[in-house]
Amino acid sequence: MMRRWPVVGVLIAAAFALSCVGDAGAQATKQPIRIGFGMALTGGLAANGQGALLAMQIWRDDVNKAGGLLGRPVEFTYYDDQTNGSTVPGIYTKLLDVDKVDLVVSGYGTNLIAPAMPIVMERKLLFMGLFGLGNNEKHKYSRYFQIAPNGPNPAGSFSEGFFELAARQNPKPKTTALVGDDAEFPQHALVGAREHAKRLGIQVVYDKTYPPSTVDYTPIVRAIKATNPDIVFVASYPPGSTGMILAAQEVGLEPKMFGGGMVGLHFTSLLTKLGPKLNGIVDYGFWVPEPTMKSPGVEAFLQKYQPAAVKAGVDPLGFYLPPWAYAMMQVLGQAIEATKGLDQQKLAEYIHAKEFDTVVGKVKFGPDGEWLKHRTVAMQFQNIKGNDVEQFRQPGKQVVLWPDEFKSGNLIYPYSAARK
Amino acid sequence: MQARWLLALAGVLIVGAFVVTRTVDNRYVYFAAYGILQYVLLATAWNILGGYTGYVNFGTGAFFALGAYTSVFLIQAVQAPLVVLIVAGGLVSGLLGFGIGYLTLRLRGVFFSIATLALAVVLETMMVNWEYVGGAKGISIIRPSAGPLFTNYVQLLFVVMAALAMGAVAVAWFIEHSRIGRGFATIRDNEEAAECMGVPTLRLKLLATTVSGCLMGIAGAPFPYYITFVEPVSAFNLSYAVNSLAMPMVGGTTSWVGPIIGAVLLGTLQQLATVTISSELNLLIVGVVLVAFVVLAPEGILGLLRRGTRRTRA
Repeated sequence: MMRRWPVVGVLIAAAFALSCVGDAGAQATKQPIRIGFGMALTGGLAANGQGALLAMQIWRDDVNKAGGLLGRPVEFTYYDDQTNGSTVPGIYTKLLDVDKVDLVVSGYGTNLIAPAMPIVMERKLLFMGLFGLGNNEKHKYSRYFQIAPNGPNPAGSFSEGFFELAARQNPKPKTTALVGDDAEFPQHALVGAREHAKRLGIQVVYDKTYPPSTVDYTPIVRAIKATNPDIVFVASYPPGSTGMILAAQEVGLEPKMFGGGMVGLHFTSLLTKLGPKLNGIVDYGFWVPEPTMKSPGVEAFLQKYQPAAVKAGVDPLGFYLPPWAYAMMQVLGQAIEATKGLDQQKLAEYIHAKEFDTVVGKVKFGPDGEWLKHRTVAMQFQNIKGNDVEQFRQPGKQVVLWPDEFKSGNLIYPYSAARK
Repeated sequence: MQARWLLALAGVLIVGAFVVTRTVDNRYVYFAAYGILQYVLLATAWNILGGYTGYVNFGTGAFFALGAYTSVFLIQAVQAPLVVLIVAGGLVSGLLGFGIGYLTLRLRGVFFSIATLALAVVLETMMVNWEYVGGAKGISIIRPSAGPLFTNYVQLLFVVMAALAMGAVAVAWFIEHSRIGRGFATIRDNEEAAECMGVPTLRLKLLATTVSGCLMGIAGAPFPYYITFVEPVSAFNLSYAVNSLAMPMVGGTTSWVGPIIGAVLLGTLQQLATVTISSELNLLIVGVVLVAFVVLAPEGILGLLRRGTRRTRA
């Protein structure tokens, strides 16, 4: 009888060891997938950066509620880049070397994506970009993907709809004024606007920029008025957008079309501030609440986002950036599930090869990591009454005019007719 | 400390930086250390004019960015190597320092400071409108190979910045312990009296603005390879002016050691804040520390230490 004890002991020890191995294995598979990024939570782009972060957190919570990715929960490690590019290299090396995150995605905006590019390229990492303009033009990095629907010619995508619409009018406008901020996005947009004006045979009679610190826009508007252009294309950041609209209405500048590449007009703060003053302005857009742009999941996302945004004190409508931040993470999540792992090369190959269903619709990337075909729309503010925020949740206020596949209404032309 | 000991120490530290690249693989260490060393260089450069002669310069960002944009120009034009970028950045910013010194000779106190602030605005506007160096859109810079001695370019930049910072400290030490330094001190204490006593204040002020500007340009020269995307907002960031002023004030403006103490202290605090509590607390930290020192210890940490030593002896 005594001889059996060693055998029993060995069996117990083996069972214990196996149970430990089993536990360790289960724990290894339940290790969270950690995604790292820098985000503009303070500084010039903070208002949008905070909205983007909130959208990404909603995606993370949705994924975790559904059992995580590959059965593992998703965690974020993020730092505030202060809208300052010089903080970005340090943040991404910290994420990769100290925090040991599994994947990295970008912060918001061209200037904050660019400093991270050499770091991800050096380590051959997949890199999802959030609203960068031409970040991969020089690098041609095959593992970079950018979620804004700018297409293969990002600079031209913002102005194409504006000039195409102008060219369709009868009589066709003959002259245009081009004006914009001395800053990154407006300069890109103006390059595209020049190309389209030339292509469509519209003569440029005014082509100037102004410093971003401009306070009084009336001299600029008076100078434009003096050249009497048929249409006016403005490429601006939010302060310039507001300033140009108010100055144009004060001076009485009424071309046949006005707008084009004005950032900020989709933010709740400016929608409610400018209210009826927006009527008639034609602007670019990525997503607006029109029936032609509805895609599966977007309403469910906005229903989660909007109350959370009110609580967090960020853009309560969230039409401009948050759906795209969510969609960027959806692409990443779907690729992880499909490739059944975190292999950066396999993920990049999969994202190149497949089309993704996201809250902003179907997404397919081209060889340079931009959308295969651009989907920037031209829309016009119409029938805005008062400054109540609720009206902007309804269709018919930001009417999509171009391209035809998303068209939800007709252009009110000329500009003065829409302002009545 | 004698000159040879200081040079020996600088040499040891540079070699030490190189040895670190052989042993430490964590690249974050290099990025963080680069940032702190860059501030050692900037704070030392600022202190040569602001601390030794008492002329407060708010235009550090302009001199720094000019060094950076000189590099961008040379990279675009001839793919110049890093050594050439550093020399050129220093020369161009030094020349600007000389010009500013010459143009603002009649300005003293707050008026000189306002002029330097205006310089930053003027230069930024110029760069915004100069398309060849990226203009308002900015420009991507692709790093060259790191060479056989380093596994990546960040290690190389770290060692280079360590050498430049040591070089700047050596220059500051030399100035402080020479007749030039004493001349600077007389300008700071009472310029009219110094002039009456035969101190060539004009020449000394020009020298101070030139050397200070040159060192700031040298600090900016490797910046394009550090950040790899140069645009006016980052290059002319206000934080350079605020930090390079605050660091010597915290450490102590009358000695070459002061800017080092301030830069290491505030630079480390800011690095920690960026990756822990985050946000604009960075500049808040600088602001609070600066106000605290101005009110409680106007001579900085060095002043506090001196006071402590005197009390102990008494």
